[in-house]
Amino acid sequence: MDTYKRLLMANKAWVQEKLALSPSFFQDTADEQRPNFLWIGCSDSRVPAEEITGTNPGEMFSHRNIANLVHHTDFNLLSVLSFAVEFLKVKHVIVCGHYGCGGVKAALSKHRYGVLDEWLRPIKDVYHDNREIISACGTLEDQANRLVEINIHEQLKNLMKTNIIQKAWHEDRRPTLHGWVYGLSDGFLKSLYKVDPGSPIDDIYQFEF
Amino acid sequence: MPSPFKIRTDSIKQDLSAGFVVFLVALPLCLGIAIASDAPPLAGLITGILGGIIVSYLSGSELGVSGPAAGLVVTVISIQEQFGNLEALFVAVFLSGLFQIALGSIRAGLLATFFPSSVIKGMLAGIGIIIAFKQFPHAIGWRGEFNIEDGLFCFGSYFCLHGLYSSLWEPHTGVSVVAILISTISVGLLILWERCKQGGSKLFSLVPGPLAVVAFGICTNAIASLLMPSLALSGAKGQLVELPPLASFSELISQGPRNLLSWIALPAVWGAAATIAVIGSVETLLCLEATDKLDTQKRISRPNRELVAQGIGNILAGLLGGLPMTSVIVRSSANIYAGAQTRLSGMFHGMFLLLSLCFIPHVLNLIPLASLAAILIVIGYKLAAAKVIKGVWKDGYDQFLPFIITAAGVVLLDLLSGVLIGTCFGLAVVLIMNHHAAFTVVRDENDFLIRFAKDVTFLQKIALKRTLARLPDGAHVSIDAGGAMFIDHDILELIEDLKNSADGRKIQIELRNFPTARFDLLSAFSSRGTHGHL
Repeated sequence: MDTYKRLLMANKAWVQEKLALSPSFFQDTADEQRPNFLWIGCSDSRVPAEEITGTNPGEMFSHRNIANLVHHTDFNLLSVLSFAVEFLKVKHVIVCGHYGCGGVKAALSKHRYGVLDEWLRPIKDVYHDNREIISACGTLEDQANRLVEINIHEQLKNLMKTNIIQKAWHEDRRPTLHGWVYGLSDGFLKSLYKVDPGSPIDDIYQFEF
Repeated sequence: MPSPFKIRTDSIKQDLSAGFVVFLVALPLCLGIAIASDAPPLAGLITGILGGIIVSYLSGSELGVSGPAAGLVVTVISIQEQFGNLEALFVAVFLSGLFQIALGSIRAGLLATFFPSSVIKGMLAGIGIIIAFKQFPHAIGWRGEFNIEDGLFCFGSYFCLHGLYSSLWEPHTGVSVVAILISTISVGLLILWERCKQGGSKLFSLVPGPLAVVAFGICTNAIASLLMPSLALSGAKGQLVELPPLASFSELISQGPRNLLSWIALPAVWGAAATIAVIGSVETLLCLEATDKLDTQKRISRPNRELVAQGIGNILAGLLGGLPMTSVIVRSSANIYAGAQTRLSGMFHGMFLLLSLCFIPHVLNLIPLASLAAILIVIGYKLAAAKVIKGVWKDGYDQFLPFIITAAGVVLLDLLSGVLIGTCFGLAVVLIMNHHAAFTVVRDENDFLIRFAKDVTFLQKIALKRTLARLPDGAHVSIDAGGAMFIDHDILELIEDLKNSADGRKIQIELRNFPTARFDLLSAFSSRGTHGHL
């Protein structure tokens, strides 16, 4: 059987199984979505957001890019963030990285990947700003994993600097920001950082409301 | 949690008054359950006293009250029928105590959770029906034997044909207007009492309904013996409680079996003991859960310690000539509602029972059996009430069928058969429900996907075999075991068979997510997502 056909077959089986559990499974979410979560994760095929969190269709709005980055000029991410926070009114935004992330490893190396190098540049900046902490971490793998963690923290800070988050915090005291990391080798999610609405940030980034 | 052997006396006043209320509730129940079990009333009282004084002290629960139990009535009757005397029963009770201590020691307290709750409710409903029906002769003052097994169906016709009406006025049959009067009014009184208590009336919650019924029975019979002595109920006709006159305390402790050792040699006695131990333990553990739910301090009982305490109680009950005991919900809840704080209250209730037996046996002997019959009929009705049946009905037919089958089995056959049939039936229902959609089959032209949505056992063999046989020649089949934690050997063989016939049928097979460790049989295909073209 062609590999792509298997996906279509598996889909048919999935529909049958869902309908057997609840005949109105698809009708229930067909008209509108009311997700509580926005997931900003890595595109890596080994980190399937819905599967590792046991979420059903309709429960999680998601955006995935290489190395789960929040660029302040990325209109794709900003549109997703705006829609999720301002229209869907999600209560939690989760930035989820993973150990062994290829993007982070690439940023640590001097290898040329073309346009990807521009995308990954902020990670080099994170390394540059935290060089001492990271280089104290022993093996190259340990250093990369530490950088994965610090990178997640940096993306939370980037979210806090956005108009969208600051406005929602001011008007609605939501969403809570979470920084999680996923272990490819053991399958566990670990919560590293939690930022409650209204948490202080450096004065220069704080807008007036 | 305070140690069960440490007794707190700081709430002694509340415990004393609660203990007295429980005593008032327990007294008619001890006598009534003994009579319902075709045993002498003294046997019920002995168990009540031991359950109060000894078991409350040792118990794994602070507020649970132990004593003779309605749930064991049917077992006790059938043991007496089997051996033809009381001594064997007492020995069986003694041995059941040993079993319970063993159960507690191997921490079997969790076992009760393995009985489906529908079966346990069905068992209680069946017991309720038996208790209620067994009491009808007492309720009308009838002396004769009444056998539930052959009596249930012909009960109505029996009395009609033999002229219930005409015998009413002939004292020698024992059917008595006074008894009928007492029992019917008592049943009404108990129902009324319950309603008023729920309505929040202080008086009705202070005086237990059963006590009021007993007092009413004694007074009515006293009036009857003044006005119409020929119709009054009497001990000679077996219509009143009969406690043997106890000359001394030593006589009280000499009611037990005399030939303990010769009975122990009989294997059948051990079987009876095991039955008592299992049913008694299950009832105790269920009661424990219910008591914990009611406890205002939300203390959590220790089931294994409770089993040991019950075991010690039953050993003593057997030796002293008492009925088997369990933790009992009616008395336990009365204890809690009366404001008990610690195990002292249960112990006081036992002491009050002992005192009443020593000092007022002549008063106890005035109690008409018709009054106790009324109390037991109401208890029986509560166990099998329309409310209970409706509640199970609402839970769906997978609950209701085992429930009703267990109840019918308990009434028509016997307790153990009923519970066993009910449990098997419950299991079958679960298996049949599980049988649905264990695997999904989808087809796209010549491509097939068979996906295991949950564990596949030999039960799904027929369905899977049919599916595989229907595959057309030249089909491409993908079998995905991702959803199954367990795959039966039979199923693996079936797939092996398909592999062997695949060549001739030009069928291509691809296996996904079959765990390698369990799958030596099909090693040719090997692990996750790899192709095994034939």
